[in-house]
Formats: sequence, C-alpha cells, structure tokens
Amino acid sequence: MHVFALSSTQLSVGQFALAAILAFLGVFFLLPRPKGRSIWEGIVALAAAAVVFGIWLQSTYGNPMPDLLGSVLFWLFSAGALVFGTVLVVQRNPARGAIAFAFVILSTCGLFLLLAAPFLMAATIIIYAGAIIVTFLFVLMLSHPKGESNENDRTREPLLGTLAGFSFVSLVLFTLYLTYVGRGDENAPYATRNPQHLPAPVLTDEERKTIAEAIARLDETDEQLSGDLKSRRNERIDFFDALKKNISRVVGDPQDEARETRQEGLLRARLKKEPGKKEPGKLGDGSVLYRDDPQMLGVIARADKIRKMNWDVHERLENFVLSQKGNPEEIRNEYHHLRDELVLLNGSAELPGRNVENLGFILYADHLLAIEMAGTLLLVATIGAVAIAQKRGVPE
Amino acid sequence: MIITLWHYLSVAAVLFGLGLIGFLTRRNMITMFLCAEMMLQGVAINFVAFARYHGNLQGQVFVLFILTVAACEAGVALALILMLYRRSKSLDSSDWQSLREMGVPPSVDTEPLAQPAPEPADEPLPKAGVRPPLSAEEAAHV
Repeated sequence: MHVFALSSTQLSVGQFALAAILAFLGVFFLLPRPKGRSIWEGIVALAAAAVVFGIWLQSTYGNPMPDLLGSVLFWLFSAGALVFGTVLVVQRNPARGAIAFAFVILSTCGLFLLLAAPFLMAATIIIYAGAIIVTFLFVLMLSHPKGESNENDRTREPLLGTLAGFSFVSLVLFTLYLTYVGRGDENAPYATRNPQHLPAPVLTDEERKTIAEAIARLDETDEQLSGDLKSRRNERIDFFDALKKNISRVVGDPQDEARETRQEGLLRARLKKEPGKKEPGKLGDGSVLYRDDPQMLGVIARADKIRKMNWDVHERLENFVLSQKGNPEEIRNEYHHLRDELVLLNGSAELPGRNVENLGFILYADHLLAIEMAGTLLLVATIGAVAIAQKRGVPE
Repeated sequence: MIITLWHYLSVAAVLFGLGLIGFLTRRNMITMFLCAEMMLQGVAINFVAFARYHGNLQGQVFVLFILTVAACEAGVALALILMLYRRSKSLDSSDWQSLREMGVPPSVDTEPLAQPAPEPADEPLPKAGVRPPLSAEEAAHV
C-alpha cells in the first residue's frame, strides 16, 4: 500500500490534527513550573502549529478571497485574541497576564465590530478593560508576592489539565466542522445549501426611500379624509391612487388580481433567483429565494401582509368616496394601521445601522423584567462585596 | 474565503478552551479569575455571531446581561480574594486544600522552587583610623 495515497479528506484531517497536537505541546511547554519551563520550545511549537494551520487553510480554501479586507480583519482579530489568550494562560506574572487580558478584550471587541455590534464593542471596552481590569490590578497591588512564589511558578496538573482542555476544544471544533462544512458529501445540515452569509441587503436604499415617501403621504390621510367629502373628489382619488401605487411599488400587488399592470414589487423581484422552480412554503409563486434566513422571511411575510392591506383599504376608500358607502372613521383607522405596518417594515431591516436605538427598544419592550433583575443583582453584589471585605476584629 | 458563522464559533470555542485550561491549571487566584472572564468572552462572541446571522438583536441583549453579571461577579470575587489573602497572606489557591472533596488526597509540591541567586556580600570596610591605600592617581600625584 502506497503510504502517500491518502485521500484529500484524510490529508486535511491529518494536517488539522497535527496543528492541534503542536498547539497542545506548545501550551504544555509554556505553563510555568518551578524547575523552569522550556520557553523556546513552547514558542517554536506554537509557531509550528500556526504554520500547519495556515497550510491546512490554504489547501482547503485556496481560491482567491472575495472579501479581502473583511477576511484580513477577521484573521487579525482572531489571531490577536488567541495569542494574547495563550499569553494570559502561561504568563508567570499576573500583572502581565492582566495586560494580556486587556488585549484579548480589544481583539474580542474588534470581532464584535465585524459582527455589527458597535454598542457592545464600546460597552465591553469600557466595562472590562476600563473597570474590571483596573480593579484587578488594584487588588494585585495590595497582595502581590515578591520573587519566586508558589502560586506563580507552579501549575496544578499541567498535562491532564491541558489534555482535558484540548480534548474538549477539538471535540467542539470537529462538531462545528461536520455541521457547517461536511465531509464532502451532502451530509452537513448547514453546508453549501445555506451558506450562512448575508449577500443581499434586506431593503435597498431605493426601497427605503419609497417606503418613507409612502409614510409621509400616509401622514396626510387624516386631513384628506376630513372636511366636506363631496368636494375635491378627483383630487382625493388621485392622492389615494398615488399612495397605493407608492406602496405597491415596493411590496407588489396581490396575486389574485388579474390585471395587466400588476406589479411584482421591488422587494420580491430583487430576491428571486430562479423563477419557475417549485419551492413550496417560501414564495407562493413557485420561485426560489436568493436569501432565506429568518430575518428575510419575516420581512417578506410582513410585506405580503401590507400588500393585501394596501389593496383592501384602497377598495374601501373608493367605495366610500365614489358611492358614500362606509364609515370614514374606520377607513381612517385602517390607514393608521397601514402606516404602522410600513414603519415596522422600514425598521425590520435596520440591524446594524441604528444599533443603539434598536437595542434600547428591544431591552425596554421585551426584557424589562430582566433589566430590573440585573440592576438588583448589581446592587446586591455591591453590598455583598462591601460586607465581605470589611476588616473583622478577631483575626482567626 | 467568505467568513461565515462557523469561523466565529470556532474562534469562540478556542478562546473558551484556553480559558478552561488556565482555570484548571493555574494556582494564582487572580489569574484563575481572569481565565474565567476569558471563557465569558468566548461565549459572548458566540452570542453576537448568532445575533448577526439570525438578523435580530436577541443575542446582543444577552451579551449585555453577560457584561452586567461579569461585573457583579468581579466585585464579589475580588472581595473574597482579599479576605482569603488576609487569612493566608498569599494568593495561592492550594493553601485552601482543606476544602477539597472527601477521599481526594492533598496535592503536595514535590519540586522545590528555584532559589534566587544569593546576593554577593558587601566588601568589608577598612578599619577606622587606618589610612586607606593610595589609588593609582594619587600615587602619581607629585
């Protein structure tokens, strides 16, 4: 049997395993011990692990990278987090460990920024790097040992501890790999079928502008529906026709309307990939969606609701203005309802942009009890810390 | 390569694992606590990645709560560490081995710590009242 006749999967698994073993050896060598640790061997082993990992990455994803800046930033922040995390774990001096932890926080905040969470980035830097680490350094200054000491130079079960940690991490990484990448066949639940990245924006600028115009027009419906309803009939009809066209330009007209001028709607037209293929449950007209993550499906469901509402309320209005059938109060309420739905549609696409406002809205609307409990927890923790740290009279 | 969800999840998992190793192996209480905080950071990255890829903000809300609870935990833990330091005058968690499980033998340190090199003793001063030997420069002075 030719020993180099390994399949590509076995080769990549072997490279990955080699990187993991080298990383394990590196951390094991670097953990502090009284007899001294082999720093250089540890660093060399970790560097070799990084090189083997890079080779594995290159051989698996050798294609040119489409999103170069995003990828570079991601690898930079990840490498920073992992390197400084390792420094924290193996560093003898706890003050240096605290500084390494500050850099771990900075790298983690870089990753938060890449994941569209600017408020969390700022809050984490302020609270962790600003408050928690400073408090730690204060306590350290009050209690640091001088020179060689038991707690800094000894490690409790270095071999078994490192083995336990690396076994756990390897298990998790292996499971992630199988789930999201698969073994080459189509067994992965989240593999190529659903690439888990966001290629298309939820609402483009044009759609957003059109919706904003519709909302502005809807703000005038009250005035249009008041006053003497027999006068200025044509103007009113024109106004409401323009409003209806405005809304249906984005969300489209209902399917059962057999008119020649039926609009698809900007939203659906942009997201359809292959018209005609049967995909039950996603779009009624049998086309395949280009993006089918939960956010997009929610937006499309809301757009369908608006589509129907738009048509219905316009019919009632026409009945009312032309033949005086119906109650103006009800029609006004329906237009208010339509306006609320449009505002929600505009807002449901705003994930990264207005992060602070949306976060505040969700916290206040959905999680008020949790906020209050967290506040109580903070109060109790402060009181507890003060009570614990008081100097007692009798030493023993 | 497009950075997708599972890249973030794997970075978070490795960060969590490093924190786990540090918490299990180190003996300095402050370092152990910083490793626990690093585990929390790994979990936070996980939550924010899921929030991004599901398109809602629930994950970020939970990370806000993680932040709050971590701050509380830091306060209480530091108070406890200060009290323990007052009792045993060191930050070593192995000083409190009497709190271990029943039936588990205590872990004894077998290797001695490396002793720092003894400082060289100062040179003895010459006896008082005795003229010190002339230096080269003074001897050459006429």
